[in-house]
Amino acid sequence: MGIFIQILLNSLEIGGIYALAALGIILIYRTSNTQNYAQGTISMFNAFVATYIFAFLFNKENKFAWVAAILGMASALVVGMLVDRVVISRATKVHPVSKQIITLGLIMIFLGMAPMIFGTDPMPFPKFIYGSHTILGATISYSAILNILIGIVIMVVLFYMLQKSKWGLSVRATASNEVVARMMGIPTPLITMASWAIAAALGTLAAIMLAPATSVNLSMMDGVQVIALMACVLGGFQTFHGPVVAAYIIGFASNLITYYVSSVWSDSILYILILIVILFMPNGLFGKKVVKKV
Amino acid sequence: MDKKKTERMAKPKRKAGNPYINYIVFGLIMLMLPILVEKEVIKYSYLTIVAGILIYSIVSLGLNFLIGYSGLVSLGTAGFMGLGAYLSAYLTINLKLPFEISLIISVAIPMVLGILTGLVSLRIEGYYLAIATLVISEILRKAFGEFTAVTNGFSGKSAGFPKLLNGKVLDRNSTYILIVVVLVIVIMITHNLINSYTGRALSTMRGSEAAAQAMGINIYRYRLLAFAVAVAFAALAGVLYVHFIKFSHPNTWTLLLSLNILAVIIIGGVRSIPGTILGAFIVFGIPDLVLKNLPVIGKIDGIPYIFTGVLIIVVILFYPAGLIHIWFNLKRAIFSLRKKGGNDSE
Repeated sequence: MGIFIQILLNSLEIGGIYALAALGIILIYRTSNTQNYAQGTISMFNAFVATYIFAFLFNKENKFAWVAAILGMASALVVGMLVDRVVISRATKVHPVSKQIITLGLIMIFLGMAPMIFGTDPMPFPKFIYGSHTILGATISYSAILNILIGIVIMVVLFYMLQKSKWGLSVRATASNEVVARMMGIPTPLITMASWAIAAALGTLAAIMLAPATSVNLSMMDGVQVIALMACVLGGFQTFHGPVVAAYIIGFASNLITYYVSSVWSDSILYILILIVILFMPNGLFGKKVVKKV
Repeated sequence: MDKKKTERMAKPKRKAGNPYINYIVFGLIMLMLPILVEKEVIKYSYLTIVAGILIYSIVSLGLNFLIGYSGLVSLGTAGFMGLGAYLSAYLTINLKLPFEISLIISVAIPMVLGILTGLVSLRIEGYYLAIATLVISEILRKAFGEFTAVTNGFSGKSAGFPKLLNGKVLDRNSTYILIVVVLVIVIMITHNLINSYTGRALSTMRGSEAAAQAMGINIYRYRLLAFAVAVAFAALAGVLYVHFIKFSHPNTWTLLLSLNILAVIIIGGVRSIPGTILGAFIVFGIPDLVLKNLPVIGKIDGIPYIFTGVLIIVVILFYPAGLIHIWFNLKRAIFSLRKKGGNDSE
């Protein structure tokens, strides 16, 4: 029982990280109509920014870690806006495949810039709070509880905003039909820019949550990026909630496989399982069938 | 002898010039390189760089066929290339098989794996292939690191120059010649594929999938075929790579390599064979031959990535046909200038 609760808590934490990254990808997919392969790299870049602020502005004092994290997310907002203004907004007329390739080009740019600015050495980033607590035989650190709560709160706020706020309505309208949305007076370029900014900030938050475990380095988000994409595929690209639920499922499955089957091959087994599920449910667990009209 | 025969057969198809001649001339120019190196006109290390470029041209030709004609993106190129490389290294070093047999096996196994991946992912929307191949590539890279019995793990696997069926072992220059010959053959195969029934079917699909389906073209089958060709060329290039560089490390076969190969196609020109070669020279040649020798910029890490990344985006946004078309556009511009000049004088 203790082990199972432990796995459940770990899954909630790691699932939250995947869900934040996946939510960024789906937000961009719905407004810009492209899979954003650069989500992980942009997050990594801004996690480096946060770490640098933490190291040089706050002299590595742990009590200021959250300020550094917020500043890192702010820089992510700026980077996201810049990426949309400079590159993506100019690419409205290019083929969807070319748009995907543009995001792949963004990976190379950020991956080239990161070592130039921050160096190649991995850097540590602290937990927000230290200490742990034991419930029903499972040990959980306060930092994990905080991460789980942050993940869930942000998700709830975002979904509430998507459903109830004017911004959310604009995003959903843009997602459903950009041309008509623009005709109805929705500033779609602004909405797209906001999506890129928010997505970058969400990804950066995921990276910072992951950072105490992996340290901040150039390849820290590679695995998260692949799993976030898989979550979007598994949940279906047509809904906002599908990828998030799928991300938590993947987090849970990943921990189960790691514990009961193999820790080395857990990711590989998971990927193959997901590919098999997609074979039988091509639109994902929550996706609707898209009817193509000729 | 064979080449001449095919030349003659292809002649009636085109009125002006034979495309094969261009390819063979290109191959002959590339064959001059070892002689120039021996005469010490060019640095010794340049031969390795150029051989690398030619090997990456082979991969890029396959991926160009896939992207250009079926609009599908594969992000697993590096994984399949690495699989070919490791298989061939294992078969020749550990099992002592001759090069030709190892080549056939090391291309066939990745192809089967590729077809299996395609069977699963091509049923669904096009972009699933990109994600599925990305995943397969990650799994393969994990396997390169973990299956130490075959791959020697993170210490890297060594291989030798190709040892042929008759017991002859090639040296550095003759392996280079082998690479050039294989590249020219691959170019010809690609040329024929594009101009055959298959190529026309794929072209139709590119125009409109619905129309192609209505004409009785099996979209699924042709997509699978295009993907299989891309995987086979990748594995072939991997085999050549491991026998020329004589070493393979798991960190060679990362997503970045796949992205570089994608960049080759976008920058050079989609659906263009000369464009692919030009792209390979730009993406894999310029960073090594030019950027590294520049005084200040050459010392900074990551410049090649930024160079390629920026070039991808700039080309897609402002020059979607690819840099190979600059030549035609320049020619047209010069011609129109001349005409204008002529009119003025009259």
